[in-house]
Amino acid sequence: MATRSWTQNRDAKAAKLASISSILDGKFVKTENAKNLLESVINPGDKVVLEGDNQKQASFLSQTLPSVDPEKIHDLHMIMSSVSRPEHLDIFETGIAKKLDFSFAGPQSTRISQMIADGTMEVGDIHTYLELYARLYVDLIPNVVLVAADKVDREGNLYTGANTEETPVIVESAAFKDGIVIVQANEIVDKVPRVDIPGDWVDIVVPADEPYQLEPLFTRDPQNITELQILMGMMAIRGIYEKHNVQTVNHGVGFNTAAIELLLPTYGEQLGLKGKIVPNWEVNPTPTLIPAIESGWVQTIHSFGGEVGMENYIAHRPDIFFVGKDGTMRSNRAFGQMAGQYALDMFVGSTLQIDKYGNSSTVTNGRLSGFGGAPNMGSNPTGRRHSTPAWQSFRPDDDPLGKGEKLVVQMVETFGSNKKPVFVDHLDAEEVQKEAKLANVPIMIYSEDTTHIVTEEGIAYLYKTDSMAERQAAIEAVAGVTPVGLRSNPKQLADLRARGIVALPEDLGVRRSEAKRSLLAAQNMDDLVKWSDGLYNPPAKFRSWS
Amino acid sequence: MLQNVSHDLLAKVKDLTGVELTDDDRAYQDSIQIQLGILVLQLFNIRQLRSINQSPAAVAGHSLGIFAAAVASGVISEDEAIKTVYIRSQKMQESYPTGYGMGAIVGLTRKGVSELVEKINSDVEPVFTSNQNSELQTVISGSIAGIKKVLALAKKDSAQKAVLLKVPVPSHSPLMQSVADVLETRLATVTLHDPKCIYLANYNGHAIRNVQGVKYDMINNLVHPVYWDTMMDVAQELGIDTSLETQPGQTFTRLVKSKFPDFRTITMKNMKLDDIEFLLEKWKRG
Repeated sequence: MATRSWTQNRDAKAAKLASISSILDGKFVKTENAKNLLESVINPGDKVVLEGDNQKQASFLSQTLPSVDPEKIHDLHMIMSSVSRPEHLDIFETGIAKKLDFSFAGPQSTRISQMIADGTMEVGDIHTYLELYARLYVDLIPNVVLVAADKVDREGNLYTGANTEETPVIVESAAFKDGIVIVQANEIVDKVPRVDIPGDWVDIVVPADEPYQLEPLFTRDPQNITELQILMGMMAIRGIYEKHNVQTVNHGVGFNTAAIELLLPTYGEQLGLKGKIVPNWEVNPTPTLIPAIESGWVQTIHSFGGEVGMENYIAHRPDIFFVGKDGTMRSNRAFGQMAGQYALDMFVGSTLQIDKYGNSSTVTNGRLSGFGGAPNMGSNPTGRRHSTPAWQSFRPDDDPLGKGEKLVVQMVETFGSNKKPVFVDHLDAEEVQKEAKLANVPIMIYSEDTTHIVTEEGIAYLYKTDSMAERQAAIEAVAGVTPVGLRSNPKQLADLRARGIVALPEDLGVRRSEAKRSLLAAQNMDDLVKWSDGLYNPPAKFRSWS
Repeated sequence: MLQNVSHDLLAKVKDLTGVELTDDDRAYQDSIQIQLGILVLQLFNIRQLRSINQSPAAVAGHSLGIFAAAVASGVISEDEAIKTVYIRSQKMQESYPTGYGMGAIVGLTRKGVSELVEKINSDVEPVFTSNQNSELQTVISGSIAGIKKVLALAKKDSAQKAVLLKVPVPSHSPLMQSVADVLETRLATVTLHDPKCIYLANYNGHAIRNVQGVKYDMINNLVHPVYWDTMMDVAQELGIDTSLETQPGQTFTRLVKSKFPDFRTITMKNMKLDDIEFLLEKWKRG
């Protein structure tokens, strides 16, 4: 009987590394040899993770990959949480890559739809972040991972700093399963400020021709917050944060939640809620949180990623943020998403469409955007055990074994910025499923997980509804003059209000006339800088005020 | 319109088609005069841009404009573009002398417009959903009778605008198949090259990098809607952040600006060549 080798993967990896010994100096490969490197260590059909996080992009390696010879390297199975750069898709046009498993593709959503429709690309699945990370350890174990670091020392130790994001979860999946870990480095140094990834896990380092791409995605200029958003924020604070005694929270990235952040130190203070609600946050370090931090509302913040311009402010607030001994923040998207599932009372987000049943999606016609963080944050983990007042407030009275629920709140204006109704009978996502031949309709947050919808009309307490018909009626009642909303009538509305299923501003003691911009703790970027004692440094594109 | 266009280009049109471009409002009532006039103006603009060593990363034409786009991207020669457009305009003029045209609806989604079109479209009064100029700006094409009925329904559905356009032909609809057939025969014998830059195709809104796709677009352009809105989405996703519109107008610059307010735009109609050169060089330096 022939003896089976139990080290075939290890041997294959050793052989690959041996084959590039001529361009390898320790762990280092010269910038100009990057293409040669990729052609030598990637095999056709390999599973390759290209680090495209929500914020950080391994842009040097992603620009190098399209330059390889498609005769040598083809049919790759790409695994990317975020598809955001043009070349991420160019490699499918040239045949270098064939299949894609991903989470978010907002910045390339038109092209990705076209490529699926014409067969240029095969899609595995559109995942939530946690699903994608989890599968790296089960049935999508990568052969090669291409990641980005700020600084690398001679031993290959990585400093990934504030934008550590997905680097640890990606690298670990390859490093311990004979995958090859290739890192692009902004800078090679003698000693890294701190070790975010041990050099032992890293095989190859290439100095990048320029620093990796990083965009300030979560900066919202208070100047653009409208009075309608302020009204909705006031309703949410009274009718949800206060009512359910919410302690732990994640906010989405829109202006609605930015408004709430800026109302806590003013309106929240007036209501006497300081010290009573939302001390603990899982959220990116958005500048609009600065006034709430400075006025003592926020006690802790853990973050998925960093935010350009917030570095120095964070360095001076280590009691609030997760900061290393070196003084810079450490982020981790995998842990952040886990926190969203299991440690938070509430998620508050926004969407482009909500159907008459309460399902929501940001996938609209011709645009397969995927969803980023919202589906994990905006779903109820039914296996949760630990109890909080907010979670308990959903526990049914009549079921001895009943359990609580996470609050999942959608905040939308009834008409979007493009004047299209947000409330629709059918989501565009249903069409997109057919066009792109997807197994599931790309719904971002399911109706069954959605506990509240807030609009400029009022709040629908969906969790209080007993039937789908009643749920639809509650949605209609807050859907304004959209086709869905026009089905509501005064009698139905009065009944829903009487039973506490729908609340209008007056039911919550919120006066529409008070919803003024002057109620915001900061009205522009300059105010945010002042609140931060000059520690916040807004990126150039937000500096028109100066 | 053509006062600045170089004489050899105008002479070229005369040589290749026998058409003398008289360049006055009356002549431009004629489909052949207006199509050749616009083409020759755009060919002149392309020569101007080449003279200041500017080359595009991507080209996008709208309907007739695809021929200038094909010249700018090196797919077809000036001469062949002129001859092809001459045949295209001749054939368009003959096809539907009366009773056909186009309409525009603003404020409804394409899906919304298509539902109305489906209610009305019949063999007797054909009407089709046509060009998508922006998300909420859809053109319909077909019989005047069918178009008017769809426009009436659109107004009932509270469209902001629903108007008949001054176009005498049901362009960008299946009714134009006979023109496509003639162009197919015509282009079968013409030497074409792979585009030197990305070509954004009218017929499906895709970024095209090979000659077959551009050829298909030049032949079948009039049969399909112009997916202008999708073309712009794709351009932006490809990293394009600057647009330059050739003459005669600035319609497409307005569409780009309202879709992408951060885009840097140039209209050749409103700007001198040396100013254009200065701006483009400045933006390249960053």
